[in-house]
Amino acid sequence: MIYVLYIIVFAICVYTGRHYWFTLNRFFGFQRHPYIDIDTADWPPVTVLVAAHNEEKVIANILDALMTVKYPADKMLVIPVNDRSTDRTREIIDKFVEDFPGRIQPFHRVAGKGGKAAALKDAMASVTTEVILIFDADYIPGAGLIKQLVAPFFDLEVGGVMGRVVPLNVSANLLTRLLDLERSGGYQVDQQARMNLRLVPQHGGTVAGVRMSALREIGGWNENSLTEDTDLTYRLLLNGWKTVYQNRSECYEEVPELWPVRIKQIMRWAKGHNQAMMTYSRCLLLGKHRATLRERIDGTLLLGVYAMAPITLVGWALALGVFYQGVAPLHGVIALLSLTAYAALGNLAAFFEIAAAARLDGTRKRICLLPFLILGFGVSIFSVSRAAVSQISDLLTGAEFHWDKTERFRKAL
Amino acid sequence: MNPYLAVSALVTLAGLMFMLPLIPAILELRRKSDARPLSVVQQNAGEIRHFASSFRDYIKGLEPTLQRCVADGTTAAGTLPDGEEYVVLGRSDEALLFALEQRDTTHPFVLVAGVDLILPAEATFSRDIYSRGQFIGGEKSNYRAILGEKNVYLGVSSRVMRWVHAVGGFTAGLGCKLYVRVSSDSLIRLQADCSFLRLNAPRIEIGGAAAEGVTTPYPSIPSWDSKISHRFLHDGDFEVQTGQVITSDIVIRGRLRIRPGARVCGSVKSVQDMVVEDGVAVEGSLITAGKMLIGKHCAIRGPVVAERELAIACGTRCGTLEHPTTVSAPRIEVEQGVVVFGTLWARESGEVVANR
Repeated sequence: MIYVLYIIVFAICVYTGRHYWFTLNRFFGFQRHPYIDIDTADWPPVTVLVAAHNEEKVIANILDALMTVKYPADKMLVIPVNDRSTDRTREIIDKFVEDFPGRIQPFHRVAGKGGKAAALKDAMASVTTEVILIFDADYIPGAGLIKQLVAPFFDLEVGGVMGRVVPLNVSANLLTRLLDLERSGGYQVDQQARMNLRLVPQHGGTVAGVRMSALREIGGWNENSLTEDTDLTYRLLLNGWKTVYQNRSECYEEVPELWPVRIKQIMRWAKGHNQAMMTYSRCLLLGKHRATLRERIDGTLLLGVYAMAPITLVGWALALGVFYQGVAPLHGVIALLSLTAYAALGNLAAFFEIAAAARLDGTRKRICLLPFLILGFGVSIFSVSRAAVSQISDLLTGAEFHWDKTERFRKAL
Repeated sequence: MNPYLAVSALVTLAGLMFMLPLIPAILELRRKSDARPLSVVQQNAGEIRHFASSFRDYIKGLEPTLQRCVADGTTAAGTLPDGEEYVVLGRSDEALLFALEQRDTTHPFVLVAGVDLILPAEATFSRDIYSRGQFIGGEKSNYRAILGEKNVYLGVSSRVMRWVHAVGGFTAGLGCKLYVRVSSDSLIRLQADCSFLRLNAPRIEIGGAAAEGVTTPYPSIPSWDSKISHRFLHDGDFEVQTGQVITSDIVIRGRLRIRPGARVCGSVKSVQDMVVEDGVAVEGSLITAGKMLIGKHCAIRGPVVAERELAIACGTRCGTLEHPTTVSAPRIEVEQGVVVFGTLWARESGEVVANR
């Protein structure tokens, strides 16, 4: 038992070190924003896919925003991918098609497999451009965002692009404020540090882009994946394409305002991520492909992020068991590791990362809410662990994954 | 001490200690003093002309005064709604010019001219300047910002601290320091020893003798619409040989050297340093994660991006009038005779250097 505990403590130490490395890199390292200055170019034709499933509350906002972005209108086609909506989504989209002739080409999907990846896969038949951008329907792109997300595709090494997600409904309640801090840490520090260090920035599937030829080369969207973005990141990497992160390409999104919605969301992410871990980790770490050593290591660690929650819970249980067995390995290096494991109660390194992100963002008072993150951490660790258990049980029983759409909170126009 | 009391005291004390860090958290949660969404640029899209447009709006209220001054040949002074002092010039007024001509003085007012504006040497203008006619600055002068509706000329060794926009052409004399965004709707011309950061114009000429007559032609490739990926991916260092014609995109995960006269009908990327020798033509983009050196008389049609440093030798041109592009790196050195169509953006420092 003690050896299992040692392994767990070691894994936690690795993740803790990684968090600190990333944070210190953001303060003191070389910051890479290579494409953000490309503001003048012979811009390529681009297709913007807007994934929408029962989005009557938000779809008009994003279509409105897309019609006013600063990108040559004759080079940008918007395809709202209306995936089997049963509300007014279709009606709203069709109204926009009438109002902006030639600029919006609706894709109304009435049957087929559920899930965003399946819907995007079906919509690909309508796409003829080399550059594709993807937004979820609750996002509101700014005027310059399309150019910023297209610019990295001038680099032939780039297969995928990811922008920064910024919560819009921050002030709604405690949950939204905590999610605002989490997002800040995740993008401002984690993603940008991975970009700086030439590791594996993650494609987020929204506020994002993908190169058509790269997508074709890797076999298109994986409709069996619960998180098509993670799946895409790894397939691009294994096939010699890079995903890059643009920290200054920011876009507003709506975050969940209710804990049950948040729990569902994070459980889906956990399942999808674990699914990708099972599929790609061995090949990424040991397989023959073009990823660098640092990409192999970081990519594998990234795949294991959601697996760490149940592992940490098991670690706590084992630590209690070891204690009651009378074993007290609190000396030397073990003491250091145990201290780090204790820090994992709230993974203080992640809290440090979030505090650093708030500093980089120039925000002031919201950092006071940091102690409440222990609440978000508690909810996450149990939800993610529950997702892992349910995933294993699904595997054993042969049950199929199903897609849970994230509920929206904005008032419909 | 009563053991129950001691336990209660301990629990209370521990509880208070636990609650202590939550006090500012609870206060912030209730007050919502920092609960607005993070500020994201939604509208101006980082437009280089944003400040010039804002300034034009800012002085819109002076339009009647300006017209009156021009019609009457008079000058006017006053205070703008935000408390800034202004001077409006309708013609070259002797008394005012005398005041402006004082050397080594600072002029702390917004200057709005309805006619050509000819400013003296060694003056400092700590507020923005608007000129409806030509703007001709004296040597060794300092400016905060300039908006010219016609041509703007900066005297030798002048400095601008915020921005310049010329509807006509913009010319900076020898040794000017442009620590700013400079834009023109027609032409930017920088003389030797100038420093710059961000320049944008349909045509940017470095040095007096621009790359006229340079004939390195662009190769031709299919447009983005019909593009089929032919990506040549190579691990390690690579050389494109002299005069070689490459008909695919190139991605080199090492150092890249393109020998003289080579033609690339596609885009080029290298993960380490890139050397492009004389007379090379590239139809697409040229991007390196390291340093880039571009030789003489090259023709690069797409964006040029170096993550570390970029040096461009004389006679090279980037982009075309019909297809403007961006040339960008943290540190850029350009020789005289280089022409860029579009944007030339040095994030940290840009210098016009002597031809090697």
